[in-house]
Amino acid sequence: MIEIPPIIAIVLPLFGAFLTPIIATISRRYDAERKVCGWFTVAITIAMLLTVASMGARIWGGEVIVYRLGGWSPPWGIVLAVDGLNLLIALIVAGVSSLVAIYSLVYMRRDTRIDLYCALLLLVTAGAMGITLTGDLFNLYVFFEIMSISSYALVAFRRKWDSVEAGIKYMIIGSLGTSLILLGIALLYGMVGSLTIADLAQKLGQIAPSDVVVPLALLVTGFGIKIAMIPLHAWAPDAYQAAPSSISALLAGATTTAGLYAMIRVVYMMFGAFGVGTIFAIFGLVTMVLGALMALTQRDLKRLLAYSSISQMGYILLGVGFGTALGFQGSLFHLLNNAIFKALLFMCAGAILYRVGTTNLDELGGLGKNMPITAGLFAIGALAISGVPPLNGFASKWTIYIAGIEAGKAVFSLIAIIMSVLTLAYFLKAINSIFLGQRPKRLQNVEEAPLTMLFPMMLLAVLCIVLGVLPSLGIDLVAPAQGAIMNQSGYIHAVLGGI
Amino acid sequence: MSLNYVVAMLLIALGLYCLLLKRNLIKMVIGLGVMTDGIHLFLISMGYREGGIAAIVPAGMLQDNVAAGFASAAVDPIPQALVLTSIVINICIVALALSMAIWVYHHYGTLDPSEVRRLRE
Repeated sequence: MIEIPPIIAIVLPLFGAFLTPIIATISRRYDAERKVCGWFTVAITIAMLLTVASMGARIWGGEVIVYRLGGWSPPWGIVLAVDGLNLLIALIVAGVSSLVAIYSLVYMRRDTRIDLYCALLLLVTAGAMGITLTGDLFNLYVFFEIMSISSYALVAFRRKWDSVEAGIKYMIIGSLGTSLILLGIALLYGMVGSLTIADLAQKLGQIAPSDVVVPLALLVTGFGIKIAMIPLHAWAPDAYQAAPSSISALLAGATTTAGLYAMIRVVYMMFGAFGVGTIFAIFGLVTMVLGALMALTQRDLKRLLAYSSISQMGYILLGVGFGTALGFQGSLFHLLNNAIFKALLFMCAGAILYRVGTTNLDELGGLGKNMPITAGLFAIGALAISGVPPLNGFASKWTIYIAGIEAGKAVFSLIAIIMSVLTLAYFLKAINSIFLGQRPKRLQNVEEAPLTMLFPMMLLAVLCIVLGVLPSLGIDLVAPAQGAIMNQSGYIHAVLGGI
Repeated sequence: MSLNYVVAMLLIALGLYCLLLKRNLIKMVIGLGVMTDGIHLFLISMGYREGGIAAIVPAGMLQDNVAAGFASAAVDPIPQALVLTSIVINICIVALALSMAIWVYHHYGTLDPSEVRRLRE
């Protein structure tokens, strides 16, 4: 049977991106460019989500879906391989991007050249989806570049001073990272002579660990820049602050998720370097602590959210670094949750920006009376990210704490708990200065955000509550992915087919 | 032959130096280009073979039972494909970076990255 769902999930947004300008040109004659482009993007992303979801039943049944491009068999041709881990990340990427597409319908209403925005949005999605589904290392690099270049362009989309500054910073740092990845891949190819991840995994096992340190370090640095691991985070606060809020949500929810996936896949499943875990745990700890401390002092909501996003990546790295089954489970669960509540919070910030025109905490206040729904949704997101019990953040953070104690690193867990309290502190500060307190006179006539923007936010908030009340549901969703990480030989066997 | 690798590493080092230490956005973009070219040279050198032939099998060759001779003479085609892809990607990066540099100059009146930092304030 020919396995088409993986390639469809990549081709849909890729061709959609190139069709968008053509459709825009045609629909411009009927003066419906905005609506047609927007809904076209929504349709494509939802179709992609359904395609990914259609693979669910088979993969959760323990199968690995392999698609061979052009019919070439693995060590020579490019393969797309989907196991439990790929599927989880693909679901997150597709879900976040379709919600962002719906949100953009109204949010980007005041901007010109909406067709280019939609095309770039679809390209970022195509890149992230490609990273997620491919089984070939160089192919992963190419999709990584597609995702990165389009996200640089999206960050600088409005071409104002702030977005251009953030865009060029992101671009210089990001391109350095991707060239390091290319160098790492070149070194690996020189050593092993193969580019299929499964084949590399098999052959790297026979090479002395000391020989692969340099490519491993290059790849980890490259992916580390994409997930804004401290000390490689310099681009993140600027980019998240200056990008349109819908794009901040996409960056936090989809591209960092794809970057972290690449990190897990390459380090654990290709190099089999479980010994690197301790370094990850330490980096995770530093990222978590510094991210939270810097978030405390921010006066701009989106910048605060950016630092909090860095801090949450620290939690995920920490769990990944423990290298145990429970650690992976907690991390992947937190990765899912992080995509949910971080997208929600950035969308709330976007709603405020849309109605008020600023996200500076000093200039806001008392908006709870004007925007009660946004206030409620922001509160749900903020409590979830701080790990308050009935919400989803609690379940995943708790799993990470327990994993730390079981792995004999109770100190790490203790610091993580303290940072969780700090997270609550800066989010309470944000809630207080935006929605409570004195309302400045000029904010008296602010209205509630439009329903099209509220809809994706509500959906995310409901997910926060559902995954919090029924954590076993989330664990069930994550368990196949965690099983896939532990089952390296199964992946190799499935992709290479016993060659 | 090993000269290739030396030059490639030199190019990478020079590009990295230029990217990290120069205080002009245009020069930084040039540095990025030089560094990527170094990586390309490194990649293409791995597939190079002195006096090698293209990895295309002519019709008569397999019949003449010289497949083994072909394998020992042909160059590795994969690095060429990789480099070609990577060159295209690099063009995109340089083009986008230069256009952003133009916008930076438009807004800030300078190309010095240390002066383009209003967001931090």
